[in-house]
This record gives sequence, C-alpha cells and structure tokens, in this order.
Amino acid sequence: MSIFHSLYRRILDAAYVWREEMRQVFRDEGVLIFCIIVPLVYPILYSWIYNNEVVHEVPVVVIDQSHSQLSRQFIRMFDASPDVRVACYAEDLDDAQSLVSRQVMKGVILIPSDFAEKLCRMEQGTVSVYCDMALMLTYKAIYQTAMAVSQKMGAELQTKMSSNYTAREDMITTRPLDFEDVPVFNPQGGYGSFVLPAVLMLIIQQTLVLGIGLAAGTARERSRYGDLVPIHPAYDGIYRIVWGKALCYLMVYAVMGAFLTLVVPRLFHFIQLAHWDDLLLMMIPYLLACVFFGMTVSCLVRYRENVMLIVVFVSLPLLFLTGISWPQSAIPGAWQGVSWLFPSTFGVRAYVRMNTMGGTLGDVAPEVRYLWIQAALYFGAACIVYGHQLRVSRRHAQERLAYLRKKREVRAALKQHHATAANLRTNN
Amino acid sequence: MRYLINIWTVAKRECKILFVNRIYFCCMLIFPIFAMYFFTSLMDEGLPEDMPVGIVDLDNTSTSRSLIRRLDAFQSSEVVAHYASVAEARHAMQENEIYAFLYIPKGTTDKLLASRRPKISYYYNMSMVMGGSLLMKDLKTISTLGSAAVGQATMRAKGYTPEQIQAFLQPVRIDLHQIANPWTNYNVYLSTVFVPGVMMLFMFLISAYSIGVELKFNRGKEWLARADGNIVVALLGKFLPQAVVFLLLIAYYEFYIYGVLQFPHVGGWGYIVLLAVLEVFASIGFGIFAFGLMPSLRMSMSICSLWAVLSFSLAGSAFPVMGMDAPLQALTWLFPLRHYYMLYQITVFNGYPLLDAWFHLVALVGFTLLPWFVVHKIKNAMLTYVYIP
Repeated sequence: MSIFHSLYRRILDAAYVWREEMRQVFRDEGVLIFCIIVPLVYPILYSWIYNNEVVHEVPVVVIDQSHSQLSRQFIRMFDASPDVRVACYAEDLDDAQSLVSRQVMKGVILIPSDFAEKLCRMEQGTVSVYCDMALMLTYKAIYQTAMAVSQKMGAELQTKMSSNYTAREDMITTRPLDFEDVPVFNPQGGYGSFVLPAVLMLIIQQTLVLGIGLAAGTARERSRYGDLVPIHPAYDGIYRIVWGKALCYLMVYAVMGAFLTLVVPRLFHFIQLAHWDDLLLMMIPYLLACVFFGMTVSCLVRYRENVMLIVVFVSLPLLFLTGISWPQSAIPGAWQGVSWLFPSTFGVRAYVRMNTMGGTLGDVAPEVRYLWIQAALYFGAACIVYGHQLRVSRRHAQERLAYLRKKREVRAALKQHHATAANLRTNN
Repeated sequence: MRYLINIWTVAKRECKILFVNRIYFCCMLIFPIFAMYFFTSLMDEGLPEDMPVGIVDLDNTSTSRSLIRRLDAFQSSEVVAHYASVAEARHAMQENEIYAFLYIPKGTTDKLLASRRPKISYYYNMSMVMGGSLLMKDLKTISTLGSAAVGQATMRAKGYTPEQIQAFLQPVRIDLHQIANPWTNYNVYLSTVFVPGVMMLFMFLISAYSIGVELKFNRGKEWLARADGNIVVALLGKFLPQAVVFLLLIAYYEFYIYGVLQFPHVGGWGYIVLLAVLEVFASIGFGIFAFGLMPSLRMSMSICSLWAVLSFSLAGSAFPVMGMDAPLQALTWLFPLRHYYMLYQITVFNGYPLLDAWFHLVALVGFTLLPWFVVHKIKNAMLTYVYIP
C-alpha cells in the first residue's frame, strides 16, 4: 500500500470520526445545551445584566444639623451630581440608620451643627460620610461625590478668602498645579465593558470542556465496557480519533467563537477595538488549546454527570485568575502558577488587551505564544490519554473476541460430544 | 415512630452511598474547601498593593522627582518604569507592564514657580475597574498634594500657622466612616459571597445528583421500599446525612473566616448559625425541586449548574441590583444566593435587626419548602422512569 493511499485512508477515517462526533453533539441534549444553547443565551443574559454599566443616583439620606446657607449649598451640590441623589432628610443618626438598615438608603451624610460656624471662623469644617460597605460601587459613588463636592466648595471658599483681582489669579490660588484625570480604555468605568470580555472568553472554554466531557461520558455509557473509544475500523489510530473529534468541536466553535467575540459586543455596544485578522490569529490557538484541554479532561471522567460537578465550579476561580477583576500583580505566585494550566488565563488576557485596550497582535505575542504551547501540550496529552483508551478498548475487544471464540469452540465441542454420545447410543 | 425508624434506615443506606462513591467526598468536602482557600488566599492582601505604575517625566527636576517618590510610597502604587514619551507608556500599558502612568510635561517646575499654572496628567487603565480606580485614587491624591505643596510653601513664608494653612488648603474636610469594613478589604467583601455561592452550587448539584443516580443505577424502587413507599420519609432520610455534612462544612468555613481570619461580624454568632442553616436547607430544597421539575439526571443538573453560575452575578454583590434593569431586579428573587447575600449583609455584616431582612428570611424558608410541590412527581419518576443514557 502506498503512503498516499494510507494517508488518504487515515483522512477518511478522521472524517468519519468527525461526522460521528458531530451527530452525537446534535443528538445528545446535554451536549446541545452546553455547546449551542449556553454560548448563545448566556452572553446575552450577562450583557443584559451589566448593560447599564454604572450605578447612578445612589440614594443617600442627609442629616443637616447646621441649617445654614453653606450646608444647604453642600447638599444642593451633592444632589446635583450624577452618581448620588439626596433621597431624604433625617433628624439624627439613629433615624438615618434605620433607613440604611431597611435597604432604602445606601449612605448617610451628616453635617454637624458647627459646620458653617467653623467655616466662617476660617477653621476647617467637617462633613461626616457614613457608607454601607456591603456594596463597593455605591460606596465609591457616595465617597467620590462627597470628595468632589468638598473640593469644589473648598475652592470657592479659597477664592473668597484670598482677595484676588482676576479670574486667572483665582485659578492659580485654588490649583497652582493643574491636573487632568484620564481614564483610558473604558472611560466611563463601566462594569460590563470591564467584566464581559473576560466572561465571554471564559464561556468558550467552560462550555467546550463541559460539552466534550458530556459527549465522552455518553460514549462511555453507550459502550458495553464503559470504553471511550468504540470498536470500529475507523477508530483504529490515535491521531485519527483526536483530530476527528477536534475538528468537530472546532467547527461548532468557529461559529460560536465568532458569535461571542464579534456579535455580542456589537449587540450591546461594548468596546470593540480588535482587528479581525489579529483576533483570528489569537482565537485559533485559543480554540485549539481549549479543545485539546477539554479532550484531556474528558478522559478523566467515568460518568457523564461528573464532568459537570468538576468543571462548573472552577469558572469563578478561573475568572479571578485571569487578572481582570483582581489585578494580576496582586495574585500570589502559587496561584499564578496554577493559572498557567488553563487556556482561559491567556485567552482572556489576550482578548481583553486587543479588544478593550486596542492592542495589536504584537502586544499580546507572549500570550499567543503560551496559547500555542498549551495547544501543543494538550494535544500531546490528549493523544496519550486517547492512546490509553484505545488500548483499553482493544483489549476489551480482544477479550470479547477470545470469549466468543471460546464459546464457539465449547459449543462445537459440546455438539460433537452430544453427537458422539447419540451415535454411540444408536450404535449400541 | 415507624417513620423515624424508616428515616434512620434510609439515612444509613445514604451514608453507605456517600462513603462508597468518591465523587461525593470530592464535591461535599474537597472542592468547597479548595474554593474557600482559593478566594481567601487570593485576596489575602485585602487591597491590591504595589500595582505597577509608569512615569513619563519630561521635566526631570527635584520637584517632579519628589512627586514621583511620594507616589511610589503609596500603598497601592509602585513606580516600576520610566518612559520617554506618552506613546511608549501607552504601549507598555497595552503590553500589561503597567496599569497607569503619570505624565509630567517639560517646564512644569518652571511654570509652577512662575505661577503660570502648569498641567500634569495621569492615565489609568479602566479595563480593570478595581485596579484602575485604586490607582486613580493615588494619582489624584498626589496631584492634589502637588498643588497643596505650593500653597503651603507660600503661606508658610508669609507666616501663617499650620492650622490656618490646613484650613485654607482644605476648608471642607470629609470624615469618612466605612461601616463594618474600615479597611475596604476586598477579601471581606467578596469571599463572604462567592465562597457560599460555590458551596451552594455544590449543594444544588449534589442534591439533584444524588436523587438522579438512584434512577441511573436503577435503585429508585429499592430506595422507596426502605421508606415503605413514603416519598417524604425517603427524601428526609436521604438528605439527613447530606445536610449534616454540609452543615459541618459551612461551620468550618464560618469558623475559618470569622474565627481565624477575623472577618467583621457585627451581628454575632446567632445570626451566623441561622444563616448557615438556612443556606443549607434552601439549597438542598432548590436542588430537589430542580430534579422534581425535570426528573432526569442531566437536565436537572444542567439547570442547577446554570442557575448557580448565574446567581454569582444576580446576587448583586459586585454589580448592585439597583443598577440592573427592572425585569432583572425581579428575577434576582428566584436566586437563593441573592437572599443569602442580603440576609448576610443586613444581619451579620452590618448587625441590623433581623426584622429588616424578613423578606429574605421568608424567601429562604420558601426555597426550603419548594420540594413539597414536586414530591409526587419524584415518587412517580422513581417507580416508573427508566434511565436512558
């Protein structure tokens, strides 16, 4: 047999495995849920949850014990800001606390009775801010607004005190060193724009691993001996099986990946700065790494449901390990090491830096390189585990064959025995 | 009495199952404890410290250098690199080398001394909101201090007292009270919701799984026979050992975070215990309900895992529920973790009276009672359904 012929055979076998796997994906409702429905529905749901991006008009209760023109000015300015709203007034702290404890208000502003007096005496006036720390975003909104208002009011008081002649002099008095605050890549500080790209990439990995694991579990349960690899001439080589299965999932996730990385951000108007060619060159190793990672994991599960028990809960730790919600520089070294095992770590970093931060492929070259390394290593791992599975199922097949042969022999022997016995009887 | 004996026999049978199948051991003890150590050790610092910051100092004078030194001394920032231009610094940001940078243009000190109001700028990466906003705080403080230093020097030269200088530079002072978490500790803030969330995930999954495998391994009839055909007894017996294990698990978690890590718990141990009990029973209730709704192992487990993963977002601890659209706000009521979080933060974290969280208490009790609606469906499934792989 020529080399070309055998190569052609192998490709045909791989294509057969590919088709069988594809059929299974669409027949198995568990796989269908995780490979098709979840990647379609979850991103939309998450985008919807975070679509408002920031919290505005956080309700705050005010205790004005000063009752002065200055205190009222502070409250007016505070209320006029976009992030908070003065929702009600209280007499004292107990009164205000009961509102906070009933979750009606998120914070308290207390202006003491000597506020105006002190300011007029050219002393420092104090405004107390009490924040409910159960929610960091509302705390930030209240505290930052209070700070901004106090600085604004302070600047006004400074100009009054310093008897300047021109507006330019006023500006120099209040802020001799001017500064500009430039948030970049996500200027409004939106929560969705920050967390969603990471979630999208993570969904790709997690649903792939779940889908492959469930499909493998089903294959085992269908087989007589709980084998992963069916007994069939096409399933006769490691590479054929691994590539055939991988091609199936790559095909499904070429579509899903495009939907997640291109369509969803556009639907919800999230930041989208990546060029399609850069994105493609990053997604290819990411998908390959995820598929082979999923195939390696799938060999470890005995029953199809167990994969859910293992894979689902790691989603949240994996999200934290990407360094998006908790800065990468603050992740302890041991956990950084663990994070290197998962494609999502590098996939999320590369995607966020290209899509949200407008980087090019060159900027994420290390990540892409790690993804290729992971793809190669997990391909090797998948080959090893599938090789093992193949040997196991061959052994089972041989045992079965030997058993059947033996059965036939025994049967034939028995038959012969009976025949001779009958012969003997008739002869006698 | 007969019921009690039946419950006991079913419970004994369940204990045997829990011991034999390793997956229970993993999912009820190993994985949740792993998640607990993961989150608490990951955020051990409380607030991220020494995040990398770059500098573009084109002025290069003692004034600008002192500004940079002071920035470096802040808790969250660490000056790691100097760049020759803003473009280079931005590039470094895209390569993840720095999270923010301070730009001091040429002639800043000259202009400052000549009262010509120079302008410095700082850029911070908001594609990671937490790091970005912490660095923003440092950079803003340093820039404000730069202004204040000038005013201070002038006023000192004119002979003002320190009190007068202070009062002039900052006429209105904000006196901040961060109730119950004065350190802005993110470990306290996140680990107290996400770790119970992960535990809830396992309680959902294990509850649905443990009923489902009875069907899968065709033991459903035998299980019911032990309980004399009474499904309520069968369920009580089945989940008694599991509830005990989960309660012990959560007791360990509470002991670890409140006893060892000393997380704030103004409300005291009474509420902590109440919360733990409610969490376990509500989650098991939800898991049984999910199975009863769709008496198939894979469907019920899929529902449980999808629900549990969504609840991390819809609990509203990271992004507040008040910021979501109205339909989603109503949807959050269907997630046990949401009620757990509310009950936790009102009673345990802030120490407010239980009355203010009554709704969430009732909701968790409601989740505990949910299986009531589906017990007959479960019984029917056990007696008639056949598992198809």
